[in-house]
Amino acid sequence: MNIYQPHLMRIAEITDETEDTRTLKLEFKDPAVAESFKFSAGQFGEYSVFGEGESTFCIASSPTRKGYIECSFKATGKVTQALRRLDTGDTIGFRGPYGNHFPIEKMKGNSVVFIAGGIGLAPVRCAIWNVLDMRDQFKDVTIVYGARSVGDLVYKRELEEWSKRTDLKICLTVDPGGETPEWKGEVARVPTAVEKTVAYAENTYAVICGPPIMIKFTLPVMDKLGFPAEHIYTTLENRMKCGLGKCGRCNIGATYVCKDGPVFTAAEMRAMPQEY
Amino acid sequence: MTNEFLSHASLSSLIAELVATGTRVIAPVQTEDSPDRLEYKPVCSLADAALAAGQPRLSLKELFLPSTEVLLSYRQTKEGVEIREVPTQARPQVILGALPCDAAALEIVDKVMSWDSKDELWLGRREATTIVSILCPVEDSNCFCTAVGVGPDSVRGSDVFLTPVEGGYLAEACTLKGQSLLEGRTADHADPEAIAEAEKAQSAARKKVQENAPAIPAGFSAWLTENFGHPVWNTMALRCHGCGACASVCPTCHCFDIVDEHENATEGVRRRNWDSCQTAKFTLHSSGHNPRPSQSERFRQRIEHKFSVYPRRFGEMLCTGCGRCSRICPGGMNLVEIVGGLISLSASNSGGAGQ
Amino acid sequence: MKELQELAAKLLRDQNVQVVIGYEDGPAGVRPAFITDANDAARLIFDPRCVHNLATYLKPQRKHIAKLGKIAIVVKGCDARAVAGLIREQQITRENVIVIAVRCGGVLEKAPAKAAKKVELTEENVSVRCAGCEAREPKLYDYIVGELPTEPPVSSQRAGEIAQLEKMSTAERRKFWDEQFSRCIRCDACREVCPMCFCLQCVALRAQPQWIDSSPTPAANRAWQTMRMLHQAGRCVGCLECERACPKEIPLGLLTRYVAGVVDQRFGYKPCDDPSVPAPMGEIKTDDEEEFIR
Repeated sequence: MNIYQPHLMRIAEITDETEDTRTLKLEFKDPAVAESFKFSAGQFGEYSVFGEGESTFCIASSPTRKGYIECSFKATGKVTQALRRLDTGDTIGFRGPYGNHFPIEKMKGNSVVFIAGGIGLAPVRCAIWNVLDMRDQFKDVTIVYGARSVGDLVYKRELEEWSKRTDLKICLTVDPGGETPEWKGEVARVPTAVEKTVAYAENTYAVICGPPIMIKFTLPVMDKLGFPAEHIYTTLENRMKCGLGKCGRCNIGATYVCKDGPVFTAAEMRAMPQEY
Repeated sequence: MTNEFLSHASLSSLIAELVATGTRVIAPVQTEDSPDRLEYKPVCSLADAALAAGQPRLSLKELFLPSTEVLLSYRQTKEGVEIREVPTQARPQVILGALPCDAAALEIVDKVMSWDSKDELWLGRREATTIVSILCPVEDSNCFCTAVGVGPDSVRGSDVFLTPVEGGYLAEACTLKGQSLLEGRTADHADPEAIAEAEKAQSAARKKVQENAPAIPAGFSAWLTENFGHPVWNTMALRCHGCGACASVCPTCHCFDIVDEHENATEGVRRRNWDSCQTAKFTLHSSGHNPRPSQSERFRQRIEHKFSVYPRRFGEMLCTGCGRCSRICPGGMNLVEIVGGLISLSASNSGGAGQ
Repeated sequence: MKELQELAAKLLRDQNVQVVIGYEDGPAGVRPAFITDANDAARLIFDPRCVHNLATYLKPQRKHIAKLGKIAIVVKGCDARAVAGLIREQQITRENVIVIAVRCGGVLEKAPAKAAKKVELTEENVSVRCAGCEAREPKLYDYIVGELPTEPPVSSQRAGEIAQLEKMSTAERRKFWDEQFSRCIRCDACREVCPMCFCLQCVALRAQPQWIDSSPTPAANRAWQTMRMLHQAGRCVGCLECERACPKEIPLGLLTRYVAGVVDQRFGYKPCDDPSVPAPMGEIKTDDEEEFIR
């Protein structure tokens, strides 16, 4: 078994989140691996369709839920298109977990704010469930999630579930023009929604993920609200292949996204050469 | 580890025995179509080898990281997929007459290949290989091994180091593997004349290379990091074609791609292939976004990776000064000139445009 | 080459040109020069060591060069054909480039690694492409410099290599090329240096569909090399840069010259430095009877 050999996974469930975003629930074919597999929120893996290749996504399910993992993806390239053609019962490969993770332990005893845009909710969702599955260990939990339009919102079932909970504050928003007549949430871009919804109390942590432009405009808002750059966590995407630090593809300066990341604080992002 | 005398006859019979017992022996040989071009190839006897005759066009990298290799093969079945593993145990081999720059490169790349997860394919081959290096005659003015902490007499990465002397070689066993290879083959003590001859040759070779480039200063790696946004990068790579020939001949470039290939309707393989940061598609996202959109950024990556990133992460420069990149470049990029220019820049002004 | 140096300095000083691409002496021999300052124009040279085809730097994907501004480029005959090809295939416009043609008496097969000053062309060292060259005085230019030297000698090294290939049976030829292509490592140096390989996404790099596997296996290598030759047929200017750039020394020049011979035989076409002359595979004639496929 060499380090490039994947686990075999069975596609247990397929959910179409939006027209172009699909979630797969994957079960380990090997019961011993299903039993022993551990990971932390924020880590990623290399998912493969045999014969087509591998693709990099975060693990979108929470580590508190055993025996399976989930991933969400858009069909943009050769491998993701091939993934979309598969059915429940089909076998794919999975290598992982790779990378670092959200500092869930450090966040315990504090308030946490989750901010996401579009498919960026996938890596954040993992952390959200991780926290909600241990709800009493955290103070306030706030979720701000938005997308270009109602149709682009992902994990709609869970958004509904979260909206019904009384132990968190949630703001769902769509960009102006993206609302439908039935839409009951906010109509504003994510950075604006963040400014309205989020407050900083001592030691509050933030987890942010979304399209680069959303992050670009949200970070100044966080700054204004008083969040120190060391308390803001995001997860970076970069072209990856091995996921193990050997193939030389994902580095940004001396930072290997697959080893030092993909989770970084805003302070670490600012210190990196802007080549991503 | 002491110096011992290894006669031509002893070396010849050592090679013959290794070959007879199924150990592959690889050495620089003259190629058929071009006698002045050398390549590392399997040999059947010492007579086939061209030792200390020059630098083989390609490095030893191919023997440890082939230009293409299968990582696994798969078969689709009714129940799902079967994966067939590839063996990670390699056939024993001895490399005879390795250039010091090529031997040192292997030790340097070992670091990334054993970083947390162990790349069994690379490490398995390294484990099965004994490297006998030889004093390098120094190829030409493109060599700069001494500038990067290697040298024509460097024993880095070698199990045995040979220096040609009258009647044979002064043989230094550098590792236990090397010691066991030389067991019983060498005369106990080399005579003082041979030692003096060897030292003279080593010192002359070192002096010859040192003329090509001064040692890279200690602060160079930090300067490169701080000056990532320096305007010099905009014009450094104008003549660079982004062809990646440099990466293919380089003994330390190890970047690779992983691809799947169908062999028929149900079977296929997953391969890893050489790749290079100099190509446009290396960092291209499927969205069309490319963090390194032009040759300027891509060439900067090459220099930064070799002289700043790898030293920061692994404590070594990702370069052994072999000069192959400069020799092969169709666009006339020259590493001695480029690194020398950056060093001068770092000495004259320590600040750049920041990031 | 005083005439060239003075011209370049003048073009740069008068500000209508921001960079002159030519040849200069580098630490490892002659190499392409990018002169942006009139004071550096004295670096420009031209002699038989100037084997490179600089037209490749005009390709649209060389963004970091285009960024510099208006380009003046030094070309010898074979290079001028490449500039004409780029114009013919609408990769650059004639008005956007200043062509400085140099009268040429041939170049070396292999540019020497060191800066050797005077080089005499002999039948041993001359490039195989030079004998019989019809573009020694290029017709595509804004300026033309230099004296017309004597005709280049015929290469003795590579004389008869095409005839040798033609004598082989199909099976022998297939075996020969498979052996040569087996060394290919898919580094794509041949493509990157070629002035006529300007596709922003090469067919070999497409993953959807994966026309050609990217791995350097015999089958994929054969597919890549032959596909590239087919795409070059009728367009290749015979500059032999692909062969020079190949780190595995595959005789790509032999293949390009062979294919060019076939194109000449079948279509009566040799690549030329007049952009208005259409290439056989690049033009549609509505009155073409297409007798050959009836």
